[in-house]
Amino acid sequence: MENGKVRIGFYALTSCYGCQLQFAMMDEILQLIPNAEIVCWYMIERDSYEDEPVDIAFIEGSVSTEEEAELVKKIRENAKIVVAVGACATQGGVQSWDQNKSLEELWKAVYGDAKVKFQPKPAKPVEEYIKVDYRLYGCPPEKRDFLYAIGTFLVGSWPEDIDYPVCVECRLKGNSCILIEKGEPCLGPLTRAGCDARCPGFNVACIGCRGAIGYDVAWFDSLAKTFKNKGYTKEEIIERMKIFNGHNPKVEEMVEAAFREVEE
Amino acid sequence: MKNLYLPITVDHIARVEGKGGVEIIVGDEGVQEVRINIIEGPRFFEAITIGKKLDEALAVYPRICSFCSAAHKLTALEAAEKAIDFTPREEIQALREVLYIGDMIESHALHLYLLVLPDYLGYSNPLKMVEEYKKEIGIALELKNLGSWMMDELGSRAIHQENAVLGGFGKLPDKATLELMKKRLSEALPKAEYTFELFAKLEQYEEVEGPIIHMAVKPRGDVYGIYGDAISVSDGFEFPSEDYKMHMVERVVEHSFAKHSFYNGERPFMTGAISRVVNHADKLYGRAKELYESHRDLLRPTNPFANNLAQALELVYFTEKAIDLIDEALAKWPVRPRDEVEIRDGFGVSTTEAPRGILVYAIEVKDGRVAYADIITPTAFNLAMMEQHVRMMAEKHYNDDPERLKLLAEMVVRAYDPCISCSVHVARL
Repeated sequence: MENGKVRIGFYALTSCYGCQLQFAMMDEILQLIPNAEIVCWYMIERDSYEDEPVDIAFIEGSVSTEEEAELVKKIRENAKIVVAVGACATQGGVQSWDQNKSLEELWKAVYGDAKVKFQPKPAKPVEEYIKVDYRLYGCPPEKRDFLYAIGTFLVGSWPEDIDYPVCVECRLKGNSCILIEKGEPCLGPLTRAGCDARCPGFNVACIGCRGAIGYDVAWFDSLAKTFKNKGYTKEEIIERMKIFNGHNPKVEEMVEAAFREVEE
Repeated sequence: MKNLYLPITVDHIARVEGKGGVEIIVGDEGVQEVRINIIEGPRFFEAITIGKKLDEALAVYPRICSFCSAAHKLTALEAAEKAIDFTPREEIQALREVLYIGDMIESHALHLYLLVLPDYLGYSNPLKMVEEYKKEIGIALELKNLGSWMMDELGSRAIHQENAVLGGFGKLPDKATLELMKKRLSEALPKAEYTFELFAKLEQYEEVEGPIIHMAVKPRGDVYGIYGDAISVSDGFEFPSEDYKMHMVERVVEHSFAKHSFYNGERPFMTGAISRVVNHADKLYGRAKELYESHRDLLRPTNPFANNLAQALELVYFTEKAIDLIDEALAKWPVRPRDEVEIRDGFGVSTTEAPRGILVYAIEVKDGRVAYADIITPTAFNLAMMEQHVRMMAEKHYNDDPERLKLLAEMVVRAYDPCISCSVHVARL
């Protein structure tokens, strides 16, 4: 803290910049700014410095190049608190959807034999490289996720992870269940709440952008059985669950187990 | 021959979407080399969506970019629907364009007020302008909020709209909400005009003045707009969207994860708001047409800085057009949100005008899955031209204070409103 202001950095790795955009688009930011000093935030501040000490470092994006792997280490050294923001930073993002295709394969499909002078790496969550203190989930996180996190920091507390699924919010909103009633492949039952069941509220099945609930209470196996009864194949189920959970080892393990059990 | 190299670099251009840098190499012969370095990692969108279910791939494509996620969603949707041989009803198409306009309004407002204006007023960061420029920041927020809210109501949210689906929408807002949208749009019109007047006063640097080839989607129904099935070139040539690969040739360059594009394989070209105005101003109507007539000399085809003013003109135009499109849908109210679609095999190309210019999606569907995908984004189209304009600026200023040159080079880049996350894209060769 300098002159009573919180020193904030917002850093981007490989992403769509949606988390920063969500943050920058909040009208409340104008009330926050007088209490903060923006040390690094390239999207809005020309005088940004990536290697200065900060109180809170927000990181969006997956680590997808050698340079980014170095950058996150530097950010960790400089920051008191590191917050991973959004699906890319917390779960590796949609770019981690296909763990079966190697980097070489992807590279060849897109760039052929062309050489560029960068060192790409397979997309990974920030936590694979450094210790992360807190996480804001979502693609993008909701505005209230930002307000809640910053609010808790400013009063000397910290943001708690939500440990219940989207279904809870769906019930509270009084939506009809599109999984049970329409057979749509809704991932609400295993996805972390906090979005107020945004997509099911529009009659659109949840695709799991806030990631599977932690603490090993995301029951991929139970949901897989339900999907199976609705006519989905094992491969389809794993594929869907992995759009936003590409790095979660439980997906395959538990879905496989559920299918074995059914066969037995 | 001995060269003294003096690299002038901006490692990370601020106030643009994404991560890129500018490198200007000056030798004793003047400017030797200019490079826009794209330093974000690749995300291989086309490759990861190959073999995936169509609806899931469509949920993932918008994640290419947040500033124009609605543009990605709606262009991918159109390519997919063409591939499966489905045509949305007129009222659904009208409402999709309203959603797209929400993106256009938000993106232009953010770019003009938060990314461009601070340079002209001498600020490093728009949030510092609040005290001195309360009115401008107020208008910026109001326009931005209007665009976001339109996307919330029609798309489920302002970033990554899940409500636009194959066959239509998951759910539509009620009539009262659409009436309110019209009201808020008409209230925003004077603010859009104020924006135009404001940007008409800003300097367009003559250092970068020169002939430019402009490309823009030829709008359907001969009314200035977003959707179209052909591309017009400012030299009078026109080609169907399906032939994009023949006339917009991509090449990999070493210093960038994004490819560069050339018209007929040799000439850089520009796409974006100014290109739309240059090629299709005769299709404008309403207040925007009047403003165009009175400011033609500033909306000129020879300067990339005119892109800022062209965006301001579009704020006016699209605000009016959205009202008309909502009326079109209301005339058929109540509107059924969604039609059943049958996922057949096929191939479809969609070209639309995203906030930053032509966006191309080509999708082949086989057995309900994506068999082939090709996506080209406006910034990828623009990179070659952008480097040329930065070079022109550098040639006039390489003896100046490097800080001044850096700022001017950045301002050239910012006039293009580049979207670097978009450009780090993914095409098969």
